[in-house]
Amino acid sequence: MKVSLFIPCTVDIMMPEIGIAAHTLLSNLGTQTIYHKEQTCCGQPLFNAGYRDQAKQVAKHFIEVFGEDECIVSPAGSCVCMVKYHYPELLEDEPAWHKRACGLADRVYELSQYIVDVLKTTDVGAKYEGKITYHESCHILRGLNISDQPKKLIAGVEGVQFVELENSTTCCGFGGEFAIGYPEISEALVRDKAANFIKSGADVLLLCEPGCLLNISGYLHRNHPQKTARHLASFLAENLKKV
Amino acid sequence: MHSHINKFMETARKELKNEQSQMFLMMVALGAPILRQIGMSSFPDITAAESYSRAIRADAIARLPELLEEFEKNAESKGAKVLWAKDAAEANKIILDIANCGGVSYVMKGKSMITEEIGLNDHLIKNGVEVFETDLGEVITQNLNLHPFHLVGPAINVPPGEISEVFLKKGIIKKASTDPVELGSGARRYLRDKFRNLQMGIVGVNMAVAETGTIINVENEGNIRLIKSSPKTLVAIMSLEKVVPTIKDAIYMTRMLTRNCTGQKITSYMTMDTGPKKPEEQDGPEELFIIILDNGRSEIYRDFKTREILKCIRCGACLNTCPVYTKIGGYPYGATYCGPVGQVLTPMLAGIESTADLYRACTLCGMCKQICPAGIDHPSLLLSYRARQIDIKNQKGKKTMQSRRENAMAGLISLGMSHGWLWNFGLKITRPLMNSLAKDGYIASIPMGAQGWFGCRDLRAIPAKTFHETWNDLPSLPESSGNTSKKEDS
Amino acid sequence: MPAKEEILGRLKSATKRQNIDRPAKPTLSEITLNRQQMIRRLESELSMRAGVLYQARDKEDALRILLDIITAEGLKSFVASSEKIHGVDIASFGSQKGLSVTIPKDLANRDSLRDAAFAADAGITSADFAVAETGTIGIIFNHNHPRLLSIAPPLHIAIMSVKDLYPVYENVMEIVFKNTKEIPSQFSFITGPSATSDIQGTEFKGMHGPKKVFVIMIMDG
Repeated sequence: MKVSLFIPCTVDIMMPEIGIAAHTLLSNLGTQTIYHKEQTCCGQPLFNAGYRDQAKQVAKHFIEVFGEDECIVSPAGSCVCMVKYHYPELLEDEPAWHKRACGLADRVYELSQYIVDVLKTTDVGAKYEGKITYHESCHILRGLNISDQPKKLIAGVEGVQFVELENSTTCCGFGGEFAIGYPEISEALVRDKAANFIKSGADVLLLCEPGCLLNISGYLHRNHPQKTARHLASFLAENLKKV
Repeated sequence: MHSHINKFMETARKELKNEQSQMFLMMVALGAPILRQIGMSSFPDITAAESYSRAIRADAIARLPELLEEFEKNAESKGAKVLWAKDAAEANKIILDIANCGGVSYVMKGKSMITEEIGLNDHLIKNGVEVFETDLGEVITQNLNLHPFHLVGPAINVPPGEISEVFLKKGIIKKASTDPVELGSGARRYLRDKFRNLQMGIVGVNMAVAETGTIINVENEGNIRLIKSSPKTLVAIMSLEKVVPTIKDAIYMTRMLTRNCTGQKITSYMTMDTGPKKPEEQDGPEELFIIILDNGRSEIYRDFKTREILKCIRCGACLNTCPVYTKIGGYPYGATYCGPVGQVLTPMLAGIESTADLYRACTLCGMCKQICPAGIDHPSLLLSYRARQIDIKNQKGKKTMQSRRENAMAGLISLGMSHGWLWNFGLKITRPLMNSLAKDGYIASIPMGAQGWFGCRDLRAIPAKTFHETWNDLPSLPESSGNTSKKEDS
Repeated sequence: MPAKEEILGRLKSATKRQNIDRPAKPTLSEITLNRQQMIRRLESELSMRAGVLYQARDKEDALRILLDIITAEGLKSFVASSEKIHGVDIASFGSQKGLSVTIPKDLANRDSLRDAAFAADAGITSADFAVAETGTIGIIFNHNHPRLLSIAPPLHIAIMSVKDLYPVYENVMEIVFKNTKEIPSQFSFITGPSATSDIQGTEFKGMHGPKKVFVIMIMDG
């Protein structure tokens, strides 16, 4: 199986280890990974801010870069949503591009979705003795209907004990420009998320969205430096059993 | 009435620090979804129920003008007088004229957000007609001159002590009390004679049924039933989107409305009026005026994107699940409608240019869209408003220095995002700059802006190599597995 | 241009109006309830709203129950929708027991009706329907049954026949709205007493409508 890696801007710049982890996990499962070096970003920050003309430019670049790929996988739900739902919307008035965007939409997957639903794997060969909890990011859960898959991957980790996160489906307060533009409200939300994490008694908080991770781990580092949040991919890759 | 939308964050900051507000918002956030779920669980298939109610509203809006004509015809055949009003001024004039015609010195009103939107109370009072709100929450907000805290319970957060004080002052109670039951009973006693002697009443409309010309009101308190029974003149005012095709559609929508609103399977009263009283009847209105109000909605309808806003049934479920609303409450939204419904509606009523906070203070979490029994896609609407705002800023004559700068920035960013080499190059420059601000691997503040991030969060320093730069160093799968694990793009 | 033409004109000029295909209407589980189940459901739903259901064997039993309620609640004056309600002779009962029972037919005008309804301890009325789904009664208001009697007094006693008990609202709608020429000027579904939670979320009964609701369901006939 061949997979084209779609590495979001936040991962590329701020957290490349997530991309490396995605590559590692997929490779271990026998997937040949491709990486188009021309890729940059899906354009979501521009789109969310209202700069649709500029976002369109980026969308076209993305389609050019990924257009021929059979299967595109990304460790970020909001970016997958951007490509699947907003690219067709953005390019509605350009029929040729619109067609390509619609075709592309069917071929983009979120990482945990791909591993569980396509590769039909829930045990990636990881081991971790400890308590894990999981935050259900908005675009992953409500945008892509992905909830079972990450939880199955977590359950597939040898030795792990899963504990429920209270209000796991409540927004963490990132929202892209929201965290910067409405900081007090954002803080109130991430504070609750952190409090629920601590309350759960889990050692690590896992999630599948780089944006949420930046938000939550940034807050934890400032306020509860002993608590850790991780991207699911990084966590799995870090805890692979030594063969 | 949109009084202080421009004070969104100023008000929000106050509310975030207000213990009383925060306590109620927590109660709403925890309790309301549970109550809703319990109410919805009476449906054998909740998903099917939601699909059906969304289809009813979609159908009603798709056929809106035809249904309004059908409604008018049927209502008039039963003796109702149907009047159309283009805007707030027209509606207020119609109602004042009716009041003056009847020579009434006061009117009583059921809870009606549309009358708040058009500022009816002020208009009547200014012109010598006293207005008594009768829904307890409205009695409180009227007397304390407050905006609604919540769509459904507008004064639910107000401390009883404050209510007692103003009730004493207005003669609604004779003795101070912080007991909600005593305060409510005081309001009941105060309004009793006014109900009995009432000559003209004003109600809103939850649903107008095209098939039969019926107007439907749902309520728990009974004030609307009294207003629909006691006086000779009844005015029912509805914004034009309230119409539903059939009486059975109305019943189904009511099931969804009450469950999504308060978790109740039904309100204490559901009252359906078709025309005024018949000549031989002993009570009920001799004249029923139904005002169909536009106030910007026909423009909202003409725009294919915004048309779906009109599907809203004002249940308030979107508020209860909104992470932003449940932190700041209703006051910051500065208008009749708060929460996600306010965020999609008010910019269309008050204008995109003055309501930026309403469509930008949203994390796009999608809870509202998920729960909406009318099937509105709030996040998509808000995103479209953001785009409209940028378009307006770029229009000739509206460009400011700031909008030019912002546009240039966006252009630069999109340029970088459209060219891999430029992206990587830009990174190579920015990285050392950012990291020069890092201590122990984390950045706690940057001088060039984005202070909002750093108020409560750190940012890990940018790693030495991006994923781009790391790719070449990544290990390959052994050849014997039949694949090379990675392939470079030529 | 008059408002109506302008508004309708703008609405009709809207483009991209789609035909909406509705999914099949989902079934309601209540439609399979048999009579016994309906009665049980009516009772449990109504009592959850602090309403009370009495099952009377016949009209004599109904009178007995009525007397019990009157005694327990200390009621002295009433407005009643008619002299006989579902065969129960309220007028005679009233005069026998020395209670003041006002029948609307005896009232000259709207103002005396209002005075009587607002002054009475209780309103005794018929109920034309009951809906098991939510513990609800339905009343058609017309010249035989004024509106204020069941909303102005602080207590409402409704007398009905079990044969008017239905599983869901739609059953009742089919009857009340069947003939467009005969649609009542007002029809109300009533579920328990009046209530509000507008202050601090604290619920109490009897905000503007009755504080207590009693439903006497006659089982024979």
